[in-house]
Amino acid sequence: MANLYVKAVPPADLNRNTEWFMYPGVWTTYILILFFSWLLVLSIFGCSPGMAWTVVNLAHFLVTYHFFHWKKGTPFADDQGIYNGLTWWEQIDNGKQLTRNRKFLTVVPVVLYLIASHTTDYQHPMLFLNTLAVLVLVIAKFPNMHKVRIFGINADKMRCLDDPLFLLSISVKLGVTVLFIGFKTQDFPEISRGWG
Amino acid sequence: MIAIPYLTALTTHFSYGLLFVFGHVRDFFRKLMFFTNDNLQGYAPICLGAEDFYIRRLYLRIQDCFGRPIASAPDVWFDVVERYSNDNNKTLKRTGNISRCLNLGSYNYLGFGGADEYCTPRAIESLKRFSPSTCSSRVDGGTTLLHNELEECVARFVRKPAAIVFGMGYVTNSAILPVLIGKGGLIVSDSLNHNSAINGARGSGAIIRVFQHNSPDHLEEVLREQIAEGQPRTHRPWKKILVIVEGIYSMEGDFCKLPDIIAICKKYKAYIYLDEAHSIGAVGKTGRGVCELLGVDTADVDIMMGTFSKSFGSCGGYIAGSKELIQYLKYTCPAHLYATSISPPAAQQIISSIKVILGENGSNRGVEKLSQIRENSNFFRSELIKMGFEVLGDSDSPIMPIMLYNPAKIPAFSRECLKKNVAVVMVAFPATPLLLARARMCISASHTKEDLIKALEVISQVGDLVGIKYLLGEADKQQQERMKLE
Repeated sequence: MANLYVKAVPPADLNRNTEWFMYPGVWTTYILILFFSWLLVLSIFGCSPGMAWTVVNLAHFLVTYHFFHWKKGTPFADDQGIYNGLTWWEQIDNGKQLTRNRKFLTVVPVVLYLIASHTTDYQHPMLFLNTLAVLVLVIAKFPNMHKVRIFGINADKMRCLDDPLFLLSISVKLGVTVLFIGFKTQDFPEISRGWG
Repeated sequence: MIAIPYLTALTTHFSYGLLFVFGHVRDFFRKLMFFTNDNLQGYAPICLGAEDFYIRRLYLRIQDCFGRPIASAPDVWFDVVERYSNDNNKTLKRTGNISRCLNLGSYNYLGFGGADEYCTPRAIESLKRFSPSTCSSRVDGGTTLLHNELEECVARFVRKPAAIVFGMGYVTNSAILPVLIGKGGLIVSDSLNHNSAINGARGSGAIIRVFQHNSPDHLEEVLREQIAEGQPRTHRPWKKILVIVEGIYSMEGDFCKLPDIIAICKKYKAYIYLDEAHSIGAVGKTGRGVCELLGVDTADVDIMMGTFSKSFGSCGGYIAGSKELIQYLKYTCPAHLYATSISPPAAQQIISSIKVILGENGSNRGVEKLSQIRENSNFFRSELIKMGFEVLGDSDSPIMPIMLYNPAKIPAFSRECLKKNVAVVMVAFPATPLLLARARMCISASHTKEDLIKALEVISQVGDLVGIKYLLGEADKQQQERMKLE
């Protein structure tokens, strides 16, 4: 294993924030991190394998959503802020859609969802949470969602979350959406039965 | 082409991930604990978003490996000031102690970094005659006899009709490029060009395209695509195309593939801008840089740029080209019109060092220095490769980066070497790609054999301790094959 060498050709990607993803070993590291975190969760909480996979899936959802689709810009100032309006997902591969890296990153949450839902035997409430996670992540990675900001959340406005009026407007929009979904699911008793 | 062991790639990715996560956790707690603003309500934050995340959470942790103050001239042996920190490297305080260390970090290629028997008396004399600063820009009152002599000297040395000299090397790139090319032009630059060229290119307003490092085929592909498409949106033909390459790349230590690139530029009628910051004076039979080394006629290179801080022991930069080009630059370049001209003793140092290199001072020290640096570089590089380190760069190049990869090995290597009195320079993100952190050694003509052997011993010990002899198996295999043939 130690004698396995890989050739690394420095890619012509100017964005130092994303070019590390084009080097060999990234995909394997990602998958290994997920696997070892599953083992970690199992050993710490002593729960069933299914619960552990659910925990890993949800943690993966929170972490990747925050870093890929929420945080914008780059963690250094050398590029003079040309990427300040773009999330990491929008920056990789220079904005080109449907590259190998993007396809891989879209498949990983789906595979995690399948593993998590299979090992929990499709029970509620884990199934609902897992489905929500995979839906949000996969939709965020659609090519049509490039640079789209729903309801102006996370947009480049000068206002930030400290501004109370702005905060109020976002919470009203979110609240309306949640209530809407809540009322609609009441029409489908099978789903609402699963809440109990 | 860098060969990374696969396990190292995985552990490096994981290490950076861990550092990143720790940094974010600390930032989260910092936001919780220190959310009370001082009276700066309504002001915009100095750093947008998390611009300073890398500096605060990664760079500051190993800050003591960078920016070490020195207390003597950057000769082969120099004095490094010791520092200590009470708050985990956030602030560093100097002690009064100095340690005498072997200098493997300064760009002291020909040994003019220390006092020189020919150059230093003349520099002191010009200091007394012309004073340390001209206190004026070139066009007002800042052109002395020395400046004219210097420009003629440089033009003669580089084998071009004329040259113009500036006070700072970085400024030479960043102030000349906007003058040479503007909106409607195309700049095709090597992906590993120095920040000064990138800055100048961004400031020019031209469209910038990047080609894969040192790959004439990719350059041709990019040129063909861009010429065929024309300017973005309007598709009009480009007003001017400029290709920027460097003689020796300072982070890789490899030479530019100049003959092929010039052939391609001629074919597609693009101008070529050669940045010889590290190669002028250090390579080539008479020290005339990478053109002489690779057998390229200097008339084929349109604009040759270089700096005086590496091989000549001074400061400043020059541009050499045709008489018309230099005349145009003297009318338009802001660094010539508004910036203070190069300091007279610095100019005299350059003139004297060029005289020594060319042998015009009556001795053959120049020839000795040039052959010494070549021997030293080749000896050092072959020894490092024999020990199993992964060393980049071509033979004859005085720059040798040793690959480290893992972020933890950067401070480890640096601190251990300093304990053993060898001072090396670490290069990490963002000067290099994230995964390819390295320790960069610059060999000087003044390094004696004993110095090099001591350096090799120390590096070998520290390398064993830190675990960076990645190619040990390959080196052994090559040795065995060679022994079998004999």
